[in-house]
Amino acid sequence: MFFTNLVNGLAMGMVYFLTAAGMSIVMGVMGISNLAHGALYMVSAYVGWQVFRGFHWPFTVAVIAGGVAGGLLGLFIERVFLRRLYKQPNEQVLLTYGFVYIFTNACIWIWKGWPRLPFTAAALKPVMIGGLRFASSRFLLIALGALSAVALWYLQDRTRLGARVRAGMDDKEMAQGMGVNMEMVSMIVFFIASFVAGLSGVLGAQVMGINAEAGNTILLQALVVVIIGGVGSIQGALLGGLMIGLLDTFGKVLFPQLAMFTIYLAMVIVLVVRPQGLLGRRG
Amino acid sequence: MNENAKRARPNVMPWAWRLLPVVLAVALLVVMPGFLPEFLQRMMSKFLIFAIFSISYNIVAAYTGLISLGQAAYFGVGGYTVGVLMAHYGINSLWVTALAGVTLGSLAAAVVGPIVLRVSGMYFLILTFAIGRLGYSLTWNLPFFNVPQGIQGIAGLPRPVTGIPGFQFTEFSFYFLVLVFFAIAMFLQYRLSRSPFGHSLEGIREGETRMEALGYNVWLHKYLSYVIAGAFAALAGVLYVYMNRFIEPADFDIMRSFYPMAMVIIGGPATLWGPAVGAAAIVFVEYFSSILVPARWPLILGSLFVLTIMFARKGLAVYAADLWSKAGAKLWKR
Repeated sequence: MFFTNLVNGLAMGMVYFLTAAGMSIVMGVMGISNLAHGALYMVSAYVGWQVFRGFHWPFTVAVIAGGVAGGLLGLFIERVFLRRLYKQPNEQVLLTYGFVYIFTNACIWIWKGWPRLPFTAAALKPVMIGGLRFASSRFLLIALGALSAVALWYLQDRTRLGARVRAGMDDKEMAQGMGVNMEMVSMIVFFIASFVAGLSGVLGAQVMGINAEAGNTILLQALVVVIIGGVGSIQGALLGGLMIGLLDTFGKVLFPQLAMFTIYLAMVIVLVVRPQGLLGRRG
Repeated sequence: MNENAKRARPNVMPWAWRLLPVVLAVALLVVMPGFLPEFLQRMMSKFLIFAIFSISYNIVAAYTGLISLGQAAYFGVGGYTVGVLMAHYGINSLWVTALAGVTLGSLAAAVVGPIVLRVSGMYFLILTFAIGRLGYSLTWNLPFFNVPQGIQGIAGLPRPVTGIPGFQFTEFSFYFLVLVFFAIAMFLQYRLSRSPFGHSLEGIREGETRMEALGYNVWLHKYLSYVIAGAFAALAGVLYVYMNRFIEPADFDIMRSFYPMAMVIIGGPATLWGPAVGAAAIVFVEYFSSILVPARWPLILGSLFVLTIMFARKGLAVYAADLWSKAGAKLWKR
């Protein structure tokens, strides 16, 4: 029982991490609160479902299609709208939430409202470990999550693009003055963030399935993760994601009465004790 | 700033021209509902309730610059106070329940304020949002807040009683109750925005460090603004429950918090009439689009948000006022 929950919690944590990581970096680099991030996750999940269940193409193609759909949609929002709303948080929030309404309703329109069951590649059969039955899609999620964490961390801390991203977080004007094309950096960051959200949409559908509320649900979790981990920190998002995944899974088992409450409590405690988040860059 | 710019302009318009919109608005609010069918009277009540709710957001976010995503928390506290008093204790008195709702709502804001004001900017946004979610989870999970058993929320609430013998609220008379509260809220907002306190709030929005350097107690100003806004939100919640006779956990949620935000931005942030104009726009667009294209109205609402942000960022009320004074200037050109 404990191990089943542990594996589930870690797998959920990875989904939260993948969604929150992009959101956190976008917040950190561009100061944009993109509330449509969860909606991108949902649209991509539906795209993945369409490719996998609708067209009967391989699961890998579905995952990539989801990622590309998320990335392109994110890029569209950034280029056409958010670019004009630099440093206007009020407007950003309302605009991106407008997109949540639009995407959610469009998904219901295109794919109808009925919830989709979790789906995964046919090759991923359940495995037996120590007499317990585990869905191997959970292990795939944990492995891919860990892999993305390393990749994102490498990208941010060890590459030229990452250096520019970090420079942008510290002081955008100064970075621009040094000849960094922040427009380009913003575009790339936004695309990668949305791409990863798209990936996590299809991967997360392995565990949670898809419904029309999925975008809002994941948005809430991702915001909590960003707060707990600290804005702009990949490692923070990983730590926060795993924490929330485990807390949520075990919380639902141990105190079903307080289901969602546990993670908000955790968030409030973190914020009161350490307002910049556990691994936040600045106070 | 805007006000001063307007006053400085040489004014050749007769005062009647400037008074006319106010007269029209009053006529629209006082006289018109008498000629409307009941379901539209109800929509008018809803519109004014959300206008009060938007005033709450206007104070905390547009005047003070504290962008809150959790005004629904106090809306919910106000509403649930009324619900619990009516369902559990059989107290149906308008005066008692309204007073209790607004008091508890402001108290909740007073308790939560010091926590959320520890952070600013994006963190404030998310923390306030989480506070709303907290209320959502509590009311969703605790049986005390779910009456009768088996539903989420408190249902089957009566209309409030006034204590006046032989008087029962109808849609029509209830509308006037809401109108009175709306007038009070508008008056308070007017006084607040023109008081030294209101001006210091705008100062904090424009430059917090500068206000700090000038010796203002910035934290206290923010805190008071947050609590006052909480009281307005609670009042809206109370009236909403009177009208709807049902309250549910979703009334705490982000969707609920977005309404006043959208209304204020669409109507005109940090203006006197902005909240009311925005509330009218959203409530009636929602109402008519939910009749004409019930399945598509979220799409319409979302597009409305996007279009407003991209093309009418100053707010409809501001555009309308500009248009009116321009028309006046044309008519009375020297």
